[in-house]
Order: sequence, then structure tokens, then C-alpha cells
Amino acid sequence: MRARDNPFRTERLSQIRHRLEGITWAELLSRCERLGYRAALVGAQGSGKTTLLEHLEPMLMDRGFRTRFIRLDEEHRKFDNGFLNDLFAGLTTRDILLFDGVEQMDPFAWHRFRRRSRAAGGLIITTHQPGRLPTLWQCRTSAALLAAIAAELLGVENEMIRDLAETLFQKHRGNLRDALRKWYDLLAEKREIVAKRNGVVEDPSCSHGPDPAPPSKTRCVGLSAAADCFGCESRHTGATSLRLGKYVRYRVASRVRSVIPSV
Amino acid sequence: MSELRIALKQDRAAFQPGEDLFGAAYWKLDSPAQALEIRLFWFRRGKGTEDAGVVHTVRFDEPMPEEARSFRFTLPTATYSFSGKLISLIWALELVTEPAREVQRLEITIAPGGQEVLLDTAPEDGARKKPSFAWRVG
Repeated sequence: MRARDNPFRTERLSQIRHRLEGITWAELLSRCERLGYRAALVGAQGSGKTTLLEHLEPMLMDRGFRTRFIRLDEEHRKFDNGFLNDLFAGLTTRDILLFDGVEQMDPFAWHRFRRRSRAAGGLIITTHQPGRLPTLWQCRTSAALLAAIAAELLGVENEMIRDLAETLFQKHRGNLRDALRKWYDLLAEKREIVAKRNGVVEDPSCSHGPDPAPPSKTRCVGLSAAADCFGCESRHTGATSLRLGKYVRYRVASRVRSVIPSV
Repeated sequence: MSELRIALKQDRAAFQPGEDLFGAAYWKLDSPAQALEIRLFWFRRGKGTEDAGVVHTVRFDEPMPEEARSFRFTLPTATYSFSGKLISLIWALELVTEPAREVQRLEITIAPGGQEVLLDTAPEDGARKKPSFAWRVG
């Protein structure tokens, strides 16, 4: 599959809206206001903190604030010399600082940053652990959420990709960003990765055609889980095969094992 | 919302590297614009950080509310339009209004034969040929 056609390409991932569960956007903004617009979005890696912060930005602008979005990450752990001086020099109470990746900052640098940001009308941060500012929202993920996002990107029903979503969610320990990147890789392979154990061989006929007519003892336990292989949907199970280590190996869900004959 | 269109001579969408590209930009503006620009640029799609670069720009100053103007670019000799598993490099034209920044985009292919270069054409594992030679150690 060409990178430009991959449903999990960066361009499309960046268009996914954060899905708030258990609270409305109005309630979240109201809570933010009660905290004086100084609060933290907390969550593990790949839990949607940055996405949530990005979606908060226009809502804060609608409330009359001018937002300044700044970011640190593992590749950029410090701000450039002079950047913070310029940033703080022009702050007014109309400004809200949106700081993504505060955990990259050591406690002393954070203390200085927080003190200097008092001139701003607000400071909303993302961080992995609570404690740096009052928690506005704890971002959490689930396999169901991953399935919902993937289903939206693929244009299929959640049910069709539930098993694969569960597997990737477990493998990446709840990190949706990594799970979606893995999903990109799986689709990029553009071929069915199949179990070669117990007489199950790679299915050469599974070319997404209307009548694949597989040879016996062949089961397509394809990565796409019918997402890009509607032609042989009936043989697709939603199970996944993953590339583990340097060898292409497989991990077949129990539902698939039951249909693979032993030799 | 203004109406913006980019039309290329003979409705072509694929070009040889280094070829001249002729076209026309048409607009019907909802609000007055200071200028419009047509840009030839490339961008990357796929996994990881997206990137882009503008190669040529033609500026149309003092545009009428409804007007069409022609443009011409000499296309670069490299890089070709290509797609692999990880990234695609895509060439495009973009018509942009200033200052409203309304945009119309038209993707084109720049490659020998007018065909996007596909990088993922290596044989599958099972079909991979044995090497015709081997290094011998000692």
C-alpha cells in the first residue's frame, strides 16, 4: 500500500478529534475556569493529552483568550536560548500558555517557568504524572477507544476490527499513538501475514479478490481483519499476526486456532 | 467562500521532470483580496512528521473579484513523485488568497513517463530469489 493511501497516515491521525468520555466539553471548560485556567491534562504516553490540548485551543480562543502553544518532547527537551525571555516579555492576562510535554522539564526549570508565567491569564499543561498543576482531566485509553478510532479511519464497523484493536492495545500497553502507528505498518505490508504453523501456509489466493478459493489448510488471519480485504471477508476473523523480533511470526487469536487443523 | 480553480493545459496531471507546465488560475472572490499566489510545492504523506517545500511561486497582484490569469512553471528535474510504504512525495499546485488564505490544491505527478515511482515493488519473502553470489570468509 502506498504511504499516501494508508488510512493511518499522519495527516489523517492529526484530524482525529479527542473523544471525551464522562464529561462534556462545556463541563471541562467550566472546570478549567474554576481552576483559574491553571491546570494539567494528565495521562500516559499516547493517551491523547496533546490532542485534547489542541482541541481546547480554539475553545479558549472563543472565550477571548490569545493562546501560545509551546512544546517539549524527547527530541527537544529544552527551549532555545532567548525563546522563553521573548515569550514571557509579551504576556498579558489575555494570554493562555498551552504547554505540551512539561514532564521534559526538570523540577527547578519548571518552578522558574511557573513563576514567570504568572503574568499570563492561564497555563494549561500536559504531563504524565499529576502534581505540577491541579489536574483538569485524566486521559485514559481503552481497546474500545482504539477500535473506534481505527474504525473511523478505515470506514468500517467497530466490531470488524475489535480483536485486532484488543491485540494492539495490549501489545502497546494502552499507548494509542504507538498502536495506530503499528496499524499503519500492518496495512503498509499490503499482504496477508499468515500462520505457517500446523500446516497453515501463506495464502497466495488472498488477493482481496471476489472469489479467493483458498487451498485447504489455509487460513487468512490477516492483519486487516476485513478492513481491506472484503473479498474474502468470510475467512477473516479479526485476529492478527504480528511481526515479532526479526522474524515474521504470528500470534493467532484463540478463535482462529480453533479453525486451524492440527497436523 | 471564494471559488478558486486551477486548470492545466490539456487537463494534464502528469509531467516529465524539467518540462514546462502551463496553466490558468481562476477565482471568484467573496471578499476583496490583496493578492493571490499560485505555488508549486512538494509535500510528504505517510508515517511520521509531515514536511513540505515551495519550489516556485507566481503572484497575482491587485486581483479583480472574478478573473483568470495564466501562469507557467518550469518543473524541477528532481525529486520525482514517489510512493513507498513509509512516505509518499507528492507534487502539487496551490492557489492561495491573501490575506484570507483560502486554498485550492491540485496534485500532479512529476516523474519519468509521468508515472509515480513505486518503491515497494520488491519481491515478497517467499518469492525472493537466492543471491547469485555469496561472500566467502577465510
